[in-house]
Amino acid sequence: MRASNVAGVIFGNTRDLLLGKLTGIRSMASVPFGSRYRLIDFTLSNFVNAGITNIGVVTNGNYRSLMDHIGSGIAWDLDRKNKGLHIILPYETKGMGRYTGSVDAIKGSMDFIDRCHADYIVICESNLVANIDFESVVDFHIKEQADVTVVYAHGKSPEGQIETMITELENGRVVKGSFSKESVEDCDYTLGVTVIGRKLLKSLIEAASMEDIGSLTSGVLAKKLNVLKILGYRHNGFATVIDSPKKYFDANMSLLSSEVREDLFNSERPVFTKTRDDMPTRYGTKADVKNCFIANGCVIDGTVKNSILFRGVKVEKGAVVENSIIMQGGVIEKGANLKYVISDKNAVIGEGTVINGTENRAFFIEKNQIL
Amino acid sequence: MSKKKCVAMLLAGGQGSRLGVLTEKIAKPAVPYGGKYRIIDFPLSNCVNSGIDTVGILTQYKPLELNDYVGSGKPWDLDRFNGGVHILPPYQGQKGGDWYKGTANAIYQNLEFIARYEPEYVLILSGDHIYKMDYAKMIKQHIETNASCTISVMEVPFDEASRFGIMNTNPDGSIYEFEEKPKNPKSNLASMGIYVFSWDKLKKYLTEDEQKEGSSNDFGKDIIPAMVGAGETMMVYRFDDYWKDVGTVDSLWEANLDLLNPKIDLNLADPDWRIYSRTSSLHPQYIDENAKVENSLVTDGCHIYGSLDYSILFENVTVEQGASVEYSLVMPGAVVKKGAKVKYAIIAENVTVDEGACIGTEPSGEDWGITVVGADINIGKNATIGAKQMITKNVEEGEKI
Repeated sequence: MRASNVAGVIFGNTRDLLLGKLTGIRSMASVPFGSRYRLIDFTLSNFVNAGITNIGVVTNGNYRSLMDHIGSGIAWDLDRKNKGLHIILPYETKGMGRYTGSVDAIKGSMDFIDRCHADYIVICESNLVANIDFESVVDFHIKEQADVTVVYAHGKSPEGQIETMITELENGRVVKGSFSKESVEDCDYTLGVTVIGRKLLKSLIEAASMEDIGSLTSGVLAKKLNVLKILGYRHNGFATVIDSPKKYFDANMSLLSSEVREDLFNSERPVFTKTRDDMPTRYGTKADVKNCFIANGCVIDGTVKNSILFRGVKVEKGAVVENSIIMQGGVIEKGANLKYVISDKNAVIGEGTVINGTENRAFFIEKNQIL
Repeated sequence: MSKKKCVAMLLAGGQGSRLGVLTEKIAKPAVPYGGKYRIIDFPLSNCVNSGIDTVGILTQYKPLELNDYVGSGKPWDLDRFNGGVHILPPYQGQKGGDWYKGTANAIYQNLEFIARYEPEYVLILSGDHIYKMDYAKMIKQHIETNASCTISVMEVPFDEASRFGIMNTNPDGSIYEFEEKPKNPKSNLASMGIYVFSWDKLKKYLTEDEQKEGSSNDFGKDIIPAMVGAGETMMVYRFDDYWKDVGTVDSLWEANLDLLNPKIDLNLADPDWRIYSRTSSLHPQYIDENAKVENSLVTDGCHIYGSLDYSILFENVTVEQGASVEYSLVMPGAVVKKGAKVKYAIIAENVTVDEGACIGTEPSGEDWGITVVGADINIGKNATIGAKQMITKNVEEGEKI
């Protein structure tokens, strides 16, 4: 693969409505994940680790936190004179000002795609947590002379996504594609990573746009399985498509498994993110911490078990946090007791407050909320 | 080059030989500190936080890692079009070249660099102290007192004063005498090695010092006494916050453990006075079900399965199950394997302490001291290393030192 021949497009607002209040104030791409990351970090890093440095991030709405996070792209080494990171702001379409689907979003990105001088475009959703070798995906696409390559995984499919196709493959070629509102067990499903020739993409989008088709995957690709050579590239490592608050919670907790950590944070393909100048995390005399994934800048004097702590979280003496996700700047005061809680940025849980969520439904505390 | 009010010159060329194996491969300012910092982060961050954006870093001894670390100066916001950070190694001119012969000579050889910015003041710093200081306040005092040179000092206990350069002052804070390591100190105001010079005076005295035969070309030994002798206005600037010279193994160890001492005010998390550092992209730390972590600093990339108490762990350190680390510093990339015990020790970068090995002992007797294991060294299974050792090569399985 010649990485210079490939450009990437990431949809920053993939299915924003799926995560309720978490995406009420931000785009899917900038949802905090795994102690110090945002969801888009995984896909951006997949690109950079494959040497693909010409990347457009398509935004639609709620993009302030995303812009703040990616900035000039320096954390991914994407602040380049040539190529680098491009933020594609909403483009007034049909008088609406907001994209209605992936076809619309790609159409809005046509300027970038036209000027990127790449033969191949890798299109990605932003709700995927996986460390995928994009270099070998593109190599596969070129070697097999595919029209389109979709990356898929085997297992339980995400819920009701028009961009997630449940695929049936014959000799590597997708012969049938279906979409289901409910999760389907034990199937092959796409992860929202699609490789396609630039010219083909352009002609497909132009045609689809004339016909008012919304989704590239369900509206275009799934209907052209006979005409186009659409191949599947199987990703065997850890992959999770965030499609619900429950899935978000579980995906975070899966980082407590060493297998998942080794796969996701392997040293050959590191995951990059914006850095902050936090101190190392300080554990106090009474700290009791078991099975936790913890970012820098925390001060822990209480008990924390089976939890994910983001940067700068404070857990005071006598406070107990179990099976919870505490985002950046959260403060858990003396004697507070949290089980199955997701607390958004800078939430303060006052002295003695007791909050119990359940394994199936974590209790959500909004950003900046003081309890 | 546009004019700058103040240019800082950071002396970073010293070998730091008292740190032994810790500076075998790197210059002292590049020695790791506090879990994610290097010593040089302190003067660099202080400069930026004090509004000084032009810094020359004088390097000489083993500069590779230091050069890499400083890079474009981006982590300290010192990658500037105008000013910014400049690495200044010794160089060759038409009439040949010389190594930096002393601190004053190092600055003398770079007068041209300073002159390009036509500054009014030059701040001289060194790369071996841990402290947070607003240099702007010191410069302000320098201007207000119309001094030729201002030297920052702090009070030290009288019985330790003979280890320092001591300033004997008049009641108004002006210096009438400078004594290097006096046997019978008259004052307890010790120089911190931080000087503000008016640019014209600095140029004058450095140039004169170059002409003197037998001069050691050192600020403390030559320049300051010459200026005092000539009757220049020399003032002290008193500083009474945390400051520590980390030039020895013991003081480096202490300065690190000071971060865990609630009585010591060295808050690196102060949003108004951040200490910046170059960080790599590592995953957050993982603390296992069987781990026990108390009174410690742990940073990104660490995996803790064993127990920690009163210790500082740098990036990417692994402490395996049943292993324990107490009152120690474990630098980036080191691995403490199953059942190994590390006490009162400094474990340098990428060391492997194999299963069951024991390093260091609890304080006992007069001969006791911190044990140091140099970078990339392998300590074999069940090896035992006593107190105050400096390990410079691999230790075999079962060996006792």
